[in-house]
Amino acid sequence: MRSALWLSLLLPALCASAVVCAASDKVFDRTVAAQPRGVVDISNVSGKIDVKGWDRPEVSVHAELDDDVERVDVASEGSHTTIKVVLPSHSHGGEARLHVQIPKDSELNVSAVSADVTASGVLGAQHLSAVSGEVTAELMGGDAEAKTVSGDIKLKGHGQAVRLRVSTVSGDVHVDHGAGDFEASTVSGALVVSLDSARAVRAHSTSGDLRFEGKLTRGATFEASSVSGDLNVRASTEGGYEYEASSFSGDISDCFDVKSERTGKYMPGSRLQGTRGEGAGHVRLKTMSGDIQLCDRS
Amino acid sequence: MTGREGPDGRTLVRSLGELPQSIEPPRDLWPTIEARLGGIEAPAPAATVAQSIGRRRSARLRWLAAAAMIASVALGVWIGRSLLPLPGAVPGARSPASAANDTSAVTGAPTALDAAYVADPRYERQRAELLRSLQTRLAALPPASRAKVMASLETIQRAKEDLERALGRDPGNALLQELLVNTYQDEMRVLTDVREASDTGKGI
Amino acid sequence: MTEAQAGDSRVDWEGALLQRARAGDTRAFERLYREHAGKVYGLCLRMTRDVQLAEDCTQDTFINAWRALAGFETRSSLSTWLHRIAVNVSLAKRRKSSPVEPAPEESEDAPAEWTLETPVEVEEIETAIGALPDGARDALVLHALYGYSHGEAAQMLGIAEGTCKAQLHRARKLLRERLGMEVN
Repeated sequence: MRSALWLSLLLPALCASAVVCAASDKVFDRTVAAQPRGVVDISNVSGKIDVKGWDRPEVSVHAELDDDVERVDVASEGSHTTIKVVLPSHSHGGEARLHVQIPKDSELNVSAVSADVTASGVLGAQHLSAVSGEVTAELMGGDAEAKTVSGDIKLKGHGQAVRLRVSTVSGDVHVDHGAGDFEASTVSGALVVSLDSARAVRAHSTSGDLRFEGKLTRGATFEASSVSGDLNVRASTEGGYEYEASSFSGDISDCFDVKSERTGKYMPGSRLQGTRGEGAGHVRLKTMSGDIQLCDRS
Repeated sequence: MTGREGPDGRTLVRSLGELPQSIEPPRDLWPTIEARLGGIEAPAPAATVAQSIGRRRSARLRWLAAAAMIASVALGVWIGRSLLPLPGAVPGARSPASAANDTSAVTGAPTALDAAYVADPRYERQRAELLRSLQTRLAALPPASRAKVMASLETIQRAKEDLERALGRDPGNALLQELLVNTYQDEMRVLTDVREASDTGKGI
Repeated sequence: MTEAQAGDSRVDWEGALLQRARAGDTRAFERLYREHAGKVYGLCLRMTRDVQLAEDCTQDTFINAWRALAGFETRSSLSTWLHRIAVNVSLAKRRKSSPVEPAPEESEDAPAEWTLETPVEVEEIETAIGALPDGARDALVLHALYGYSHGEAAQMLGIAEGTCKAQLHRARKLLRERLGMEVN
């Protein structure tokens, strides 16, 4: 709220306390009260961030710190808990290995530079970001966003429909048992995705290969494109789909015994079009020079 | 909402600020909205080359003018091009090693085609601002990430050149135009991600 | 990640979706709809006090936003922009169905805080807000619930800032009477 509202001090959920760990401690432990559906923000430059959801209305932090780490700040105000690793300004990057337990319904925001990020058992929305660290997360029903520059992203779902967004410059992306709406972009990383049930898929790469396998819901839309990466799609759906695959100079093949046709007599370019089943869904695959393969899931 | 539960389970609030701003509609309104969008022209539709040829012909172009209008904050680029490559022009061929220390790959190295760009001023300003600080921001990244980002920017530049070369041969190709749009978007996304990543390090 | 950084990350996604929506991508626009529909509907419902009108208002808001996307300055908040559109749509719909009430005299006084003397059930306070006259309710919802300043709320409602403050003063008085407690 941007106005000058404030919540009464009588509300027991409110507390504002910054807790500081002295630089000389190698191990840091702190537990603060937290609202069951609050927001938890965690940031760390280097090392590791491991987050687990639990049933307690508390945020618990256990950290192992290098000498270069100045302190860990843990602050809780209203529904917001913040955990931040602080380095001295002249530091070249000490490592902190954070093990954090948060109320499982929390919204989780993690920001890391070279720290690997893992999250499991978190039912709320997750926003996980790392520059070169690897991001590994369990999808438990809440929407999720994972973003890296060069770190790999590994996400594992349980077939519950969520809104999932993934973005990386050069990291590889692996998604297992995803479901719902999925959006991914990468420049040169590989996308390997398995979807139990997808309603809308949109993926794009510049040179990375994209590989999809899974089931689409009735009437789903699936769009994937790459400039020079290969697209390999094995998708089945109740109600079928109409499909169009086009490539300027890549090869197009399918397992439906349909041959692709040239789009122009004197110019490169080929297209494959058709309908599977009732044609309720829509599949669009496009490349410039990457090869395209389309098949029903085997 | 940050109210607390009363003894009978109902939520109590102590101030109006605790009331929820967001209330989910009783039904999904998107299908109706989508159906109505279908009857409305897109905010900035992408024109096919055939339509552009009919509308606009640049005196600078020696051959058939091929124009693709891509209007968005980050993608206002109108491309007019000649079908003939510039004599002596060499498609960008860089080794990753040289790319790792050289940001000129994204600063407008000449392509193989004589291309006339009329860029949306907001897009140009945004891209120029990101490029100005690119070298400094890359220096703030971990070394491994820096090398990978440079390699990715080089990949994007090669993709742009390949697409433009292909468009030179087939200017009316909507597929290539769309992929070129995506590639410009990728470049902007990477530049923005680098800015954000270097700010993250500072913030932490 | 700090709140600002989390906000920046979300704005980044939103910026990418906006780019695509401008280019005619309805899927990207749907993502924006999903993000903002709840707040827009909440605002429409409180202003119109009618579920059907609020649904119409929400739909019209996003349709109008689609039409006007090219003119949206990405420096501003998309959320604020959508709320401005929603307020205009709600006011227009309401004008059709009920007469415009006279505005109170301008005032410089307006409550700065909206805390209640004792905790109140959500349903009771929402009912009390719903019973306020249109002008007072509009100003209260925008200022006290959605956090807009007096100036911003006044601009969205198309009234003078002094009038907005007077409406808020009136809202406080009426809530105090209705709830039987001080609203500070």
